[in-house]
Amino acid sequence: MSSSPTERPAEAALVEVAMPQMGISVAEGTIVEWRKRPGDWVEADEPICDVSTDKVDVEIPAPTAGRLARILVEPGETVAVGAVLAVLDGAARPGQAHPQESPPPVAAEPPAPELDRSGFYSPVVRRIAAEHGVELERVEGHGVGGRVRKADLLAFIEHPEPEPTPEREPALEPAPERAAAASPAAEPAELLGPSHREPMSPMRRQIARHMVASRRGAAHCTTVVEVDFSRVVARRRELREAMARRGVNLTYLAFVAAETVAALARHPVLNASVEGEEIVYHEDVNLGIAVALEDGLIVPVIRQAQRLSLEGLAAAIGDLATRAREKRLHPDEVRGGTFTITNPGQFGAVLATPIINQPQVAILDLEAVVKRPVVVEREGEDSIAIRPLSYLCMSWDHRALDGAEAARFLGGIKHGLEQAD
Amino acid sequence: MRLSDASAVGDATVALDRGLLTRGDRVQLLRLMEMMRAAEERGLALYKQGKVPGSFYDGRGEEAISVGAAFALGPRDRLCILHRDLGAHFVRGVTPDRYLANYMGRAGGVTGGKDGNMHFGDRALGCVGMVSMLPDMAPVANGIALAFKMRGEPRVALTFFGEGSTANGQWHEAMNFAGIHRLPVVFVLENNRFAYSTPNQLEFAVDPVERASGYGFPGVGVDGNDVEAVFTATAAAAERAREGGGPTLIGCETMRMHGHGAHDDMSYVPAALREEWERRDPIDGYAARLVAELGFEESEVSDVRAEVRSYVAECAERALASPPPEPEVAGEGVFAERWQPLGDGAAPWSRWAETGADGARRAA
Amino acid sequence: MAELTYLEAISDALRTEMRRDDSVFCLGEDIGAFGGAFKVTAGLAEEFGADRVLDAPLAENAIIGAATGAAIEGMRPVCEMQFADFVACGFDQLVNVAAKLHYRQGVAVPMVVRLPSGGGFSGGPFHSQNPEAWFLQAPGLKVLAPATAADAKGLLASAIRDPNPVCFLEHKGLYRHVRGEVPEGEYTVPIGKARVAREGAELTVVAYGSAVHLALAAAEQLGEEIEVLDLRSLCPLDREAILASARKTGKVLIAHEATRACGAGAEVAALIGEEAFEDLDAPIRRLTAPDVPIPFSPPLEQAVLPQLEQMKEACRELLAY
Repeated sequence: MSSSPTERPAEAALVEVAMPQMGISVAEGTIVEWRKRPGDWVEADEPICDVSTDKVDVEIPAPTAGRLARILVEPGETVAVGAVLAVLDGAARPGQAHPQESPPPVAAEPPAPELDRSGFYSPVVRRIAAEHGVELERVEGHGVGGRVRKADLLAFIEHPEPEPTPEREPALEPAPERAAAASPAAEPAELLGPSHREPMSPMRRQIARHMVASRRGAAHCTTVVEVDFSRVVARRRELREAMARRGVNLTYLAFVAAETVAALARHPVLNASVEGEEIVYHEDVNLGIAVALEDGLIVPVIRQAQRLSLEGLAAAIGDLATRAREKRLHPDEVRGGTFTITNPGQFGAVLATPIINQPQVAILDLEAVVKRPVVVEREGEDSIAIRPLSYLCMSWDHRALDGAEAARFLGGIKHGLEQAD
Repeated sequence: MRLSDASAVGDATVALDRGLLTRGDRVQLLRLMEMMRAAEERGLALYKQGKVPGSFYDGRGEEAISVGAAFALGPRDRLCILHRDLGAHFVRGVTPDRYLANYMGRAGGVTGGKDGNMHFGDRALGCVGMVSMLPDMAPVANGIALAFKMRGEPRVALTFFGEGSTANGQWHEAMNFAGIHRLPVVFVLENNRFAYSTPNQLEFAVDPVERASGYGFPGVGVDGNDVEAVFTATAAAAERAREGGGPTLIGCETMRMHGHGAHDDMSYVPAALREEWERRDPIDGYAARLVAELGFEESEVSDVRAEVRSYVAECAERALASPPPEPEVAGEGVFAERWQPLGDGAAPWSRWAETGADGARRAA
Repeated sequence: MAELTYLEAISDALRTEMRRDDSVFCLGEDIGAFGGAFKVTAGLAEEFGADRVLDAPLAENAIIGAATGAAIEGMRPVCEMQFADFVACGFDQLVNVAAKLHYRQGVAVPMVVRLPSGGGFSGGPFHSQNPEAWFLQAPGLKVLAPATAADAKGLLASAIRDPNPVCFLEHKGLYRHVRGEVPEGEYTVPIGKARVAREGAELTVVAYGSAVHLALAAAEQLGEEIEVLDLRSLCPLDREAILASARKTGKVLIAHEATRACGAGAEVAALIGEEAFEDLDAPIRRLTAPDVPIPFSPPLEQAVLPQLEQMKEACRELLAY
């Protein structure tokens, strides 16, 4: 190899390709596939690899034209957001031999992704911990994935750390995420009948972890109100055609979103997040709309929803849902939400207790609008009428607010929907 | 153990010219055959009464073979007895109660409940129990004979097998090995016409007795329903073996008068064939001959037969009184703690008695 | 002490035991004047005569059956299968007759079936197998698999003196490649006792036969606290030694050249799982041949038989766990 500096890429010309942040909850991503090999020439913005996160699968475009110098994360590996995935040599020119070209990697078995094993305790570790009364959360693990090994525990017993300060104690912050697979003992196979086993997709795994962490970390309560949608049905009938001509599909969800945004302005604690022992109030309503996908769920975010009209909200919901299903969302569009609405009602559900999308404080659930007989009072007389009704179910975090506030918030939405004009 | 430590065995050469069987021997032959018949009838009855688990096999019509062949052997000879050969067990000294208890899976059975039906052999009487795979005992009899030969002991190993077994590769392996090493072994072939339902013509193209010459030793055909013919052929083969003459295959022509097991109605057997062999019943035939040719009184013969039947009935009562085995026995005895020699069996032939209870040993 | 190869140690055991006891004799194909396919019995026919080093026809059931009969009558036969693979042809006599005689009727069958086993030299699917697991499912048979020259001698002598049928697996790859100090004269090693081939505190490799040497080499090269437990006897299994080592280290790798499913290693893993679960600090792992026949071509055979690098990798993974 020549030592001529002209043939060596200057360090300054090396460009790192990093794992992007793909959503507010996303802490890591998994390389699905490398489209380029070390030594390959890549154009700027040319996809060089595919990454899967809990929310979206994305192609990573090259940040600059150049030659792919090194791949640092192999397919199947999961790394934290911000981790360097590869290095591009931006000083190289097309056709030029790569001075550091390494032989193409042999088709080695990709190493298994390193799972977080900090919450897994082996039988011997559990036994010794029980015998010595050790809280395993306090033991630092040095095994694979941060696992507490027998040796770590024995060392801890020999030299226990100082008593934890009280500040660390309160369980206000979410407990460390445990492996989502911490499932009860499996059923005997002979009773289950034929079955097959598949690994969770990265998205499934992330949802699982995220949801379990939310259940552990937040003090979930669910409040339900019944809403008469008669006015909404009427308004929708009036507005629908005109909006459709403008390419906007007006749904019940849009009405609910609009009333929710309005209610959030009146109840800022619901447009907030809990961080430790503080509540962070967000000025903008970044409204997350849960969209069911074939293999999971994604929550694209309508930014500054408080600035949008009913039609603007309807248009934004339609656009985000379409692109979510086509996996065409930009990573920025799935992060930064401050409140989430989910809409299983579109599939006929009538009641649910959703799990809060952390670190938000509440999630509103719109159920199916169905005609039911109701007692209506008109001029002092009770009578039975048929009305399109639905339930709004909201799970909220008792750490941030109490039941009265939740009820008032929901009551405001209910009122708005029933008086829609 | 050194060879000199092994109990040496003397010359038990038998003169085969004439006067082999005394009047007492003949009573014994009749008695043992009748004992086999009566015990198997009793066993079949117990089977039908639900007292015998599993299945039931007998050797009806073949009594002359096992009794005649085993009768020729000395106490220190060894036998691998098959499932149509109950008479051989009785010759060696097994009593009908132990046979019936074995069938019923009782603690008093020969195997104590560990194995069933005819899969037994009383080691104390110099017998090695058969296994279901056939003719697996032929290579084993070879090995016993090989030990005798290596130690220079004038002893004989004998095994039975049916003509069905001769189709199996192990039969060839055993005959070939015995021929090569000129082992002191007697092979008693019972051609009872059917391997389960398969008739002779579908079992072999060349009579197995003829095949013996291909292995370098004689094949002798005898009437398997004539107990004295089987006895004489076996005595001659045993003497030849003791003298270093090597193996003999004795082909006994007979007929299995019951199904393969009690579950087999023998519908495949032509009626005429059955009737023909009914007329040649080995026990009735021998009883008649004892009276007609050998100077026995009619009453003498019928008394012997009646006496043994009542003995078998008593034995059946004893067998029924035998307790079931304790369940923990199931886990015992997989491995041996030490090797022990097989015991010596009864040898009721007067010739052996003449040389004492253990003539062979005394002759040493 | 004399330094002998594994093969010489086996010959030495045969010679010593034949001198000690007239009832010991050898039986097998081409083992007489020719000395056997691997020359294990070379010189024995000259010393003891053709009657005690018996050339048998090519008939494994006849050989094992004859050994069974002779053993019943108090001889101490040692059968040689030319290759362990061929024991399949004598399987019936071994598992149906010899293995069960004592259980069924108290008849002891003191015999040895020598099984030259193992691959690594392009023997192909019929000259490379490690059939020990076949016999572990036949109660009544003892199964031995020595790894060292001294154990080969001592265990074979014990097998000959044992009153039961014993399957003696001698790995062909060790025949001339493994040598060591072997006590001269009469020497026995107890059946059913494992041997700590190397002491360590962090990880136990349970192995037998050729895998012991892979484990020792890996431990040496990694320089870690790895304990290597050489089982020596697969039936009876030294449960106490296995559990003691598993309890000590909390991490167990089980290695054998035989195929994986229901192999001896599976039994060891189950034993530890049942008896030492609360002492485990890592999943029990196995390094074995995959469940395929042993292929012929060198790259294919290497892909199937456990290799040193795989042993090191497996150790590293468990150590890091």
